[in-house]
Amino acid sequence: MANVLVVADIKQGVLKGSTAELLSKAKALGAETAVVAIGSGLESLIADLVSAGSDTQYIADDSKLELFSAGPYASCIVDAANQFGADLVWFGFSESGKAAAPRVAAQLDAACATEITDVMLDGDQIEIVRPAIANKVMQRVKINTGQLVAVVRAGAFEAAEAITGTENVVRLSAPAPDLKAVIRELLSDASGEIDLADADVVISVGRGAKDQAGVDLVKELAGDLKAGFGSSRAMVDGGFMAHNKQVGQTGKIVAPTLYMAIGISGAIQHLAGMSGSQVILAVNKDPEAPIFNVADYGIVGDLFEVVPILREEIKKLRN
Amino acid sequence: MKILTTIKKVVDVELTIRVENGAIVEDGLQYVMNAWDENAVEAAVQLKENNQAETTLVSIGGGEDNTKIIRRGFAMGIENGIQIDDPALAGADSFVYANVLQKVYEKGSYDLVITGKQAQDTDNGQTGIILAERLGLPCVSNVVAIEVIDDQHLKVSRLGDAGTEIVELTLPAVITVTDSINEPRLPQMRGLMMAKKKKIEVMDLAALGTSYDDVGGTTPKSQIAEFMKSETRTAGQKFEGDPAEITTRVVALLANEAKVL
Repeated sequence: MANVLVVADIKQGVLKGSTAELLSKAKALGAETAVVAIGSGLESLIADLVSAGSDTQYIADDSKLELFSAGPYASCIVDAANQFGADLVWFGFSESGKAAAPRVAAQLDAACATEITDVMLDGDQIEIVRPAIANKVMQRVKINTGQLVAVVRAGAFEAAEAITGTENVVRLSAPAPDLKAVIRELLSDASGEIDLADADVVISVGRGAKDQAGVDLVKELAGDLKAGFGSSRAMVDGGFMAHNKQVGQTGKIVAPTLYMAIGISGAIQHLAGMSGSQVILAVNKDPEAPIFNVADYGIVGDLFEVVPILREEIKKLRN
Repeated sequence: MKILTTIKKVVDVELTIRVENGAIVEDGLQYVMNAWDENAVEAAVQLKENNQAETTLVSIGGGEDNTKIIRRGFAMGIENGIQIDDPALAGADSFVYANVLQKVYEKGSYDLVITGKQAQDTDNGQTGIILAERLGLPCVSNVVAIEVIDDQHLKVSRLGDAGTEIVELTLPAVITVTDSINEPRLPQMRGLMMAKKKKIEVMDLAALGTSYDDVGGTTPKSQIAEFMKSETRTAGQKFEGDPAEITTRVVALLANEAKVL
């Protein structure tokens, strides 16, 4: 039986849904599950870690670990992986995961794979599936080491409804800080905004919005739907949207229930970041825009006309 | 400051990629410099221009396309070029690449390694970080800004999960950059002409003082069993006409057919 260690995805003191998704997949594979949580002030999260489906909880809770630093973060995971005898170490899709996974793999002398969408276990043999070349192909990859560190693509696994775990807390000592890469400051993203990574609905704005007034118009629609508000690269480069709002291969990869692409033509890098969404609506003036090739529903029209009608119709529907 | 920048030849992702019998159809493919590596080259050249850095690039691979991307790096402003051309390395994984780059790093003396955050062909995003582990150097990935403090220190910004992290980095170090760090310059005609005359230092693994076995080539940690077609989405229903009418119609479909509103 395989041992799966899931790295808890904690943002601003909240355990994110991907942790339960990964633990559910591990249990579905018949694996023993453990979770490793790294940060500061984690005590209140232990119950959540158990109910997310973990049977052992490795906790590295120290004020020194409050801000993410890839070196110490990786050290904690290596420590937990060794104690647990992990065959698989999984990260949910996150920047911290992408930064730490190759380090952990190098230190464990394990294989490493990013953005995996499936895992197959057959005895000791591990195989994974992942996209490559901007999502244009998929790869089936054979793991030769018997141990794999992997970052799981957003939305790849689903959380089981009746998942639960058992409490078995193991405390990890905090590793020494990385004195050669010292985090001096964290310029936080605006708080209170809905996180793109776990929003049910994501609405992204593109070049079609032209300027701030256009962006604000689409933002109102996002507000109505309590949706995550994302962006194409063009609007980030244009200075209308923050870097952390960029949906695409370079920014956030999202897989919401409903994705609305408003005024986005659909460059490959953008498509690679959102085509895992369950349902896609596209609004674009150009009937030939590539976004329509992936959209379930397409409205050919000017977003300045269409968005106000969308808002009104959705309001009607909700009343 | 001496900078080593890594560049990789990748398939042009804008073109159609076909898969047959578990493999990518090579016919009709074109190759370019990995886009994120162009950002790495630009970052290095800016450090040359603003901070008198000395710049070297390294690329693993042979053939005309590989020479072309090295010349493009020269034309953008990189001063020295190293090409590790060894047929054994075709299809090598991130660990093998990192092990080869480790040898290149150790053969020279560098203060900073800049790589793109991932290659567009594999989309792995591992090589730079593994290289740092191998070298025991500090590493910051997903970098969006570099500021030189002094000969031994940089202040770099990276996009993290909670916001922009400002990290003070002690050199030597490895950084991987993302595309919002800069806009790579287009090589000018004069630069391209000059680039043709520049000498590329070509080495195979033996010349690098290592072997395919040594860099882990014979014991790959993973190998691609097959390529498959991507589960592509198909175009759904597209509506044109009166905005009020089609928008109302689509909202009804989202609610009643897709059941997502």
